[in-house]
Amino acid sequence: MIEIKDLHKSYKMGSNSLHVLKGINFKVEDGELVAIMGSSGSGKSTLLNILGMLDGADSGEYTLDEVPIKNLSETKAAQYRNKFLGFVFQSFNLINYKSALENVALPLYYQKVPRKERQEKAMQYLDKVGLKPWAHHLPSELSGGQKQRVAIARAMAAEPKVLLADEPTGALDSKTSYEVMDLIQQINDEGNTILVVTHEEDIAHMCKRIVHLKDGVIVEDKKIEQVRAGQYV
Amino acid sequence: MFDRDVWQEIFNTIKTNKLRTFLTGFSVGWAIFILVMLLASVNGMQNGFMGQFNDDATNTIFIRPGTTSKAYGGFEAGRRIQLKNEDLEYVRQSFSDDVEYISARYYANVTARYKSETGSYNVQATHPDHQAIEKTLIVSGRYFNEADLVNKAKVVVIGRKVAEDLFKKEDPLGKFVELNNLSFRIIGVFTDDGDDNAERGIYAPVSTYQRIYGNTNDINVIALTYNPTYDLAKALEFSGKLEDIMKRRHRIDPEDQAGLYVWNYAEAFDNISSFTAVLRGIGIGVGFLILVAGIVGIGNIMVFTIKERTKEIGVRKALGARPRQIINLVLLESIFITTLSGFIGLIFAWVILAAVGPMFQTPAFSNPSVNASTVITATIILIVAGVLAGLIPAMKAANVKPIVALSDK
Repeated sequence: MIEIKDLHKSYKMGSNSLHVLKGINFKVEDGELVAIMGSSGSGKSTLLNILGMLDGADSGEYTLDEVPIKNLSETKAAQYRNKFLGFVFQSFNLINYKSALENVALPLYYQKVPRKERQEKAMQYLDKVGLKPWAHHLPSELSGGQKQRVAIARAMAAEPKVLLADEPTGALDSKTSYEVMDLIQQINDEGNTILVVTHEEDIAHMCKRIVHLKDGVIVEDKKIEQVRAGQYV
Repeated sequence: MFDRDVWQEIFNTIKTNKLRTFLTGFSVGWAIFILVMLLASVNGMQNGFMGQFNDDATNTIFIRPGTTSKAYGGFEAGRRIQLKNEDLEYVRQSFSDDVEYISARYYANVTARYKSETGSYNVQATHPDHQAIEKTLIVSGRYFNEADLVNKAKVVVIGRKVAEDLFKKEDPLGKFVELNNLSFRIIGVFTDDGDDNAERGIYAPVSTYQRIYGNTNDINVIALTYNPTYDLAKALEFSGKLEDIMKRRHRIDPEDQAGLYVWNYAEAFDNISSFTAVLRGIGIGVGFLILVAGIVGIGNIMVFTIKERTKEIGVRKALGARPRQIINLVLLESIFITTLSGFIGLIFAWVILAAVGPMFQTPAFSNPSVNASTVITATIILIVAGVLAGLIPAMKAANVKPIVALSDK
C-alpha cells in the first residue's frame, strides 16, 4: 500500500540546513495498523506530513497504492489527499461553526458527492462512531473524546486508502484515549490501513507493528502482539 | 458559484461575525451613498440651470450688429454695421426651411404717462412672431398681429409691472397711455416667469416705431428661432452659415469677431452641458476615491478573516479542498458583502432623494435624482470592487500551507 525508499528531507533554518529525515525505507501492507514512535525531533511528524502529501520530500521515492507521488501541483495534491488519505489530528481540527454532521460531510463535499447522498453517508459514519444523537451539535458542545470520534468519522467518510492519525490521543485522558484506540482498532479490523504517530508506549502497543524513529532514521521496526483497547473500556 | 453549500458557508461566516460584517459593509454602503448623492446633486444642478433657460425658447438665435475691427472689401476698420428691414426679409426668404419664427427688435426709451402717473420704460418694437420667440405670456388682452403691423397701428402690450405702476387698480386694457407724448392704445398685458425686469417692458409693432423715428427701416437686433427638430450639431451649423452670409452681405471680414454677432442659445446649452459634465466627472471622481477607501477596508478585514481562519483553511485543504475552491469561497464572500451593503447604501440614497428631492426648487438646484444608468453602473462597480477587495486575501488563503496551519505550535 505504502512504499518509501531512501526518503530525505531537510529544512532550511536561516543559513543552516536541518537534516530531518536521513534516508527512510519503509513499507506498509494493506490492512496494517502501524505505530510510528519517536521522541520529539525524531522526524515522525515530518514523515507523516510527507506521507500525507502536506509536504514534499527532497529526494527518495514515495508510492501510494501504486501511484508515484512526486512533484504534485497544489490541485493534484488536493485531489490525491481527498481520494487516498484520511487525517486525524491531535487537536481534532473540526470546523467550529459546522455541526458534527456537516464536519463529517465536508470531505464528501470536496469529492462532489451530491448533497443528499452526502448527508446520508455522513450520518452513517457518525452512527458508526456512536454519535448519531449528536449529529446536529456543534463541536463546542462535544467532549474531547466525542470530538476525536467525529474527526475519525470525517476521516473515514471519504473512504480513504490510508488513515493517518497524528497523536490522536495526545489531548485526551487515558480512558478516552482507549475508547478512541478501540475505535481505531475496530476500523482496522474491517481491513483499513492505519498509521498512528504517537509517543505513548501503551497506545503504540495497541497497534500491530511499531516503527521507532530516532534522529531521522528508523532504528527499530517490529511486529508486536496487539493489546486490545476494548478490555480497558 | 450558485452552489447551495458555498452560500451556506458564506451565510455561516457572516452570521458568526455579525459586527465585523456590518463594519465592513458600512464603509462600502457609505461610499455608494455618497457617490449617488453627489451624482444626484450634479443632476439637480443641471436641472436647475436648464430650468433657468426654459422660459425662453431654447432654439433662439440673435443677430446683433457691431463695429468692424478689420478693414475689408475696400472699407476701413471701425465701420458701424446697421441692420435693416431688408436683412430680416432676406433671412426669412433664404432660410425658409430653417427658420421657425423671426422678428426684428427696435429699442427705444420712453417716458410713459397715464393721468398723473409717469415712469421710464424700455420699448421693444417687434414683429408679431416675437411673442413665440420670447415666449411672452399674455395675461389679458392680446399681442399685436400682422394687421397692426401693416397698419402701423399705435398699439402696445405692456408688462405686468408697468400696468401696476401706471394704472394701480385700474384695468389698463383699451386705455390710452402716452409714450413720449404720443398716445398708444393698450391691447394686452404680459407676464414673464423669468424675471421681474422683463415685466417692466413694453412691446409695440416695429413698423409703428420705425415711422415715429423718422421713417427709418433700421433695426437693432434680429431674433429668430430655428427649426425645433434640429439637434445641437445642426443648430450650430445653421448659425454658422447665418453668420457667414450676414457678414458677406455687410462686407465684413469673415474673421472679424466684432463686426457682427450671431448668438446661438444652443452654444450656451453646449457650455452648460460641458460644465455639468465636468461637475459630474468630479462627483464620480470623489465618489470613487471614497469607494476605494471602502474597498481597502473590506480587503483589510478579509485579510484579517483569512488569518483568523488559517487553521480552518488548512483543514479544508487536508480534506481535499482545491486552491480554486478556497479562492471562490473568499471571493464570493467579499462580493456578497460589497454588493449587499452597496445596494443598501443605494436604496438609502434613493429613498432620501425621493423624499427630499422634490423640495429643492431653487434656480440653481432642482429635483436631484438618480436614473437607471447610475444604478446599473453602481452595481457593476460594486461587483468589481468586491472582486478587487477579495482578490489578495483569496490568493493568500489559497496559499495557506496545511502543514503550517495545522501545526499545534
